[in-house]
Amino acid sequence: MDSVEYLDLLLKALLLAGVYAAMAVGMTVIYGVMKIVNLAHAGFLMMGAYFALELFQRFHVDPILGAIIALPVFFLFGMAVHWLLVRWLPKSDTPTLASLLLMFGFWLVLQNIAYLVWGNEDQSILTPLTLSSVQIGQISIPKVNLVVFAAAVFCMVVLQIVFHRSWFGRSMRALIQNPYAAQIVGVDDQKTARLTFGLGTAFAGFAGGLLGMLFSFSPDFGRPFLLRSFVIIVLGGLESVSGVALGAILLAILETFGINIALPVYWHGWSFHYLPPSYQQVIPFALLVVVLLILPKGLSSLFSRKWKAA
Amino acid sequence: MKRPSGVGGWLKIILPWLLLVILLLLPATHPSDNLIRLLFVTAVWTTTGLGWNLLGGMAGQVSFGFAVFFGLGAYTTALLMHAGHSPYFGFVGGAAIAILASFLIGLPTFRLRGPYFVIATIGVTEAVRVVMNNLDVTGGSSGYRITEDQAFSQNEHYYSAIAAVAVAVLVSTVIANSKFGLALRAIKQDEDAAADLGVNAFTSKLWVHAIAAGLTGIAGGIYARRAAFFYPGDVFAFSTGISILLMPVIGGIGTVWGPVLGGVIYGMVEEQISVKFPNLHLLIYGSLLIAIILLEPDGLMGLLRRLFRLLRRKREDSGSPNADQVLWGRGGVEGREL
Repeated sequence: MDSVEYLDLLLKALLLAGVYAAMAVGMTVIYGVMKIVNLAHAGFLMMGAYFALELFQRFHVDPILGAIIALPVFFLFGMAVHWLLVRWLPKSDTPTLASLLLMFGFWLVLQNIAYLVWGNEDQSILTPLTLSSVQIGQISIPKVNLVVFAAAVFCMVVLQIVFHRSWFGRSMRALIQNPYAAQIVGVDDQKTARLTFGLGTAFAGFAGGLLGMLFSFSPDFGRPFLLRSFVIIVLGGLESVSGVALGAILLAILETFGINIALPVYWHGWSFHYLPPSYQQVIPFALLVVVLLILPKGLSSLFSRKWKAA
Repeated sequence: MKRPSGVGGWLKIILPWLLLVILLLLPATHPSDNLIRLLFVTAVWTTTGLGWNLLGGMAGQVSFGFAVFFGLGAYTTALLMHAGHSPYFGFVGGAAIAILASFLIGLPTFRLRGPYFVIATIGVTEAVRVVMNNLDVTGGSSGYRITEDQAFSQNEHYYSAIAAVAVAVLVSTVIANSKFGLALRAIKQDEDAAADLGVNAFTSKLWVHAIAAGLTGIAGGIYARRAAFFYPGDVFAFSTGISILLMPVIGGIGTVWGPVLGGVIYGMVEEQISVKFPNLHLLIYGSLLIAIILLEPDGLMGLLRRLFRLLRRKREDSGSPNADQVLWGRGGVEGREL
């Protein structure tokens, strides 16, 4: 593999990482504040993709704009879900099976609604951007990846500002760091939880719209991305937003370079074999288990403590 | 085992045997094929639910990955039958491979606790399904077909499924009443405290995982032999793992008869309601799950228990002790409020 190819793959990995980060961040904030492993995240991603598709097909709204419109719409949707279902769960310091199953049940409901409304065919959002590409030297990058990356990074930056500069962001960080102390100093945990759930859902809808531009989707769309989100937030240490960016980059690089990973195989003597492309999907899942075992507190535990909850 | 006391105590011992006798004599009354098929499916799923309940309900280790054992049982049975062995040898082989897999999965993942273990089991199932989709020996994603020389016997399938579920109930009862079961419950309540009292939590979890996997593997084999055709997207599916866990949750987690009750409900929903409303079955499961988690976390067994208490006009002492530990992640002593 020559250096141009390397650079090409690396660039593609980085572009993918942007979407991955936007996809996983919603799950992280919800986990951080409420300690809920949000399995319905997959359903929100899927709904986001269909939301952008509907806006595009019916009103000819650009899917990027559609994804951005999804932010407020899914924010309200998430708050409604929290008000209807999630707030009845008992509070806990560790994720409970009840919350896992409740969100899973809700995911099934969302999936079924999508099957009823849109059927089970694969859909995709095709815009003029999809097939055109930008040429930089010998490397060509699809324009759609660039635009999606830009939108994802922009929203992540906005989120970081909200996280650090607003009262709501500070309440969220306080609840992540120490829920009891936060309540003592006057953080309204119910209100913050509701807003956080809205925020997490908003980002899921947004990321779903972006993913819908890159991949084709069906009502079962979210599942592989749900697991990738898991990998990313576990890599990121479960509760930190900057950890998410790091985890997203690592996963994207491993997935992109996956075909070039040579594994030592013993078959009449040692030799190196490339991972067959069809086994490439194993990478995120294997990575998930390995990371959980080796670095249960995430990559950030390798570095200093300041990464935590930042 | 305690000696039974009173009418209720004797009833508890007699009822299961009565149920078994009825189920064994049923084919003699020439019921419709559909009923036998429904009972077969129910028995197979109930066996897996009982297996899951040993690990998830009694020891409190929630796994989303039981589809792995179900699928391995199915494939091992199929491959052994293809090699000319008897299907019953195939079932045993399926159980053996599932147990082996349970050790391979359990050895690393039981070092994780709580949600980390749950997430790891999701990763394991997904990875195994991708591998099985690409494995040449088993036909990859296009599936595997079993061809049997003998004529199709509805009753033989039925009896093997009933035998499996009877074994599962027996194993569950024995474990629930043994010292091992006590150790498992201690692990569920507080793993560190259990370890302090001399319970080897890691090996206990490994063994109960192995027993659960063995039961699930047998069920997978029995299912595969009747289905005659299956593929990784079916037996290794994430949703298979979910179905397996759904039954104990519906029926009542941590009890022996909860998964049986849940299995009956599940079998009926799967075979009757979802056939009539094929577009709505995810909605049905989803709503059922949401309703149970929010309204009666101890499942139908909890509901029944509450009903009996109401009939006897006894005061309720604790709401749902089992669910408190497994679902909410804490003992019933602390109460529901933070």
